Amino acid sequence: MSETLATLEVSEKIGTLTLRRPEARNALSIPLLDDLLACVSELESTVDAGRPTVLVVTGEGRAFCAGMDLKAVMGDPEAPPQLLNRIADLSVRLRSLPQVVVAQVNGAAIGGGCGLACACDLLVTHADAKLGFPEVDLGVCPAVVAPLLVRKIGPGRARRVLLSGGVMSGSEADALGMVDALAPDRDSLGQVAEELAKRLASGGPAALAATKRLLNELDGSVDGSRALLGAEISASVLRGEEARTMLAKAFAGS
Amino acid sequence: MSSSHVRAETVDLDGQPVGVLTIDRPDKRNALTPEMLAELDQGARELGSASHALLLRGEGTVFCAGFDLSLCVEAPDGAVMRELLTGLDRFIRTLRGLPIGVVASVQGAALAGGCAVLGGCELVIAHPESKLGYPVVRIGVSPAVSAPTLMSRLSAGATRSRQLDPGLIDARRAHELGLVDVLSDDPEREARAHVQAFASKPPEAFARTKAWLNELTDAESEMGLDAGASLARSLDLTGGDEERAMLPRALRR
Repeated sequence: MSETLATLEVSEKIGTLTLRRPEARNALSIPLLDDLLACVSELESTVDAGRPTVLVVTGEGRAFCAGMDLKAVMGDPEAPPQLLNRIADLSVRLRSLPQVVVAQVNGAAIGGGCGLACACDLLVTHADAKLGFPEVDLGVCPAVVAPLLVRKIGPGRARRVLLSGGVMSGSEADALGMVDALAPDRDSLGQVAEELAKRLASGGPAALAATKRLLNELDGSVDGSRALLGAEISASVLRGEEARTMLAKAFAGS
Repeated sequence: MSSSHVRAETVDLDGQPVGVLTIDRPDKRNALTPEMLAELDQGARELGSASHALLLRGEGTVFCAGFDLSLCVEAPDGAVMRELLTGLDRFIRTLRGLPIGVVASVQGAALAGGCAVLGGCELVIAHPESKLGYPVVRIGVSPAVSAPTLMSRLSAGATRSRQLDPGLIDARRAHELGLVDVLSDDPEREARAHVQAFASKPPEAFARTKAWLNELTDAESEMGLDAGASLARSLDLTGGDEERAMLPRALRR
């Protein structure tokens, strides 16, 4: 039996979904995404008693998530679309959950990892964390995460961030409106995230779920066909000469 | 107006008639009753046709602390909460639909329904120390009613964060998010200057531009929802088990 790459723990009103692939800085591989989706399915089928009000998503080890594990899939032309479709599916299903979902971004959330953080309803991180979307720098098109970021920080700022590439600090992300609670340093992240989760859990579960459902309707969060279209666009760019050459160079240097 | 809790006046500001709509219940932190919301709505309509711009303000140290919840506890079937939510929705839509510019002056706090009305204003001027937010999920109430107008001012993400998180933010943070347009130590004085500037604009061009912006930023129609879908989502929960359990507990605190 293979080792579990994602775990779900529930303690009264607060559930915690943890990415457990620390040796790869929790890079999103197909098996990791499958385990994450299995945890989400478990939450979807939990009713009433035992159902948490808030779900915190975090990563074991130094980083929340280093992004898509492209190195693992570039050898197989069938694999990148499978990876991208799973990320698109995960983003829609996190939004569809009745729980308020909080990304607790420890260390770094890069590319698809930052997209995963933006797919959560709220994002908490620390001032010196690294966040961002360096996709275009690598010849990759961040089409799956683009709608997530547009919703999170608005179209003008999202355009600038996605087309400029690179990464930024937690403080810079906060100034852009990407961060809902900012811890001064990594050591205090757990406490700041716990305070936020407890405050959210003080709300009525039905009121929170009804509000979230309406917000989803107003901002297109659960439009699965739009998310899958992003996955298709991104996959087609990955098949191109530019991406393959640039990624091969990047993997050779890493 | 007959009520002692809402004042609607037309004043002359540098030769222009401007409306001043005041929430006037300072001993209750300007907490809103169904009657006050009806009077605010009527006042806004009257001033909208009699003046060239509108100032919305609260008397005393707090702009508006939201609904008068003591009335809701007396009606556990949710009847008063329904009236309040419906009245709030109507008032915000009226402000939005006025052909003139609406400027809010915020001191102290703008909470729950008091924060929601800011979504119907063109400009929000606030004291930097004032507190804003939607603590209503704590009483089992959904703030969904004000989501569309809030979303027409803020990113969808900031709207989501403000509506789901019952915590308050100060006006400085609200300014970064776009919920507050101008910070000022004397918000009312600053707001009057903006009201005057709005009043001096050519009325046809102003009204047409405002109407077009309303249309462009209307998330309900954009997403194919009925106007009022958001209110319906808030009304669905009123008088339900969660509200009946949480509201009295919150008031006892």
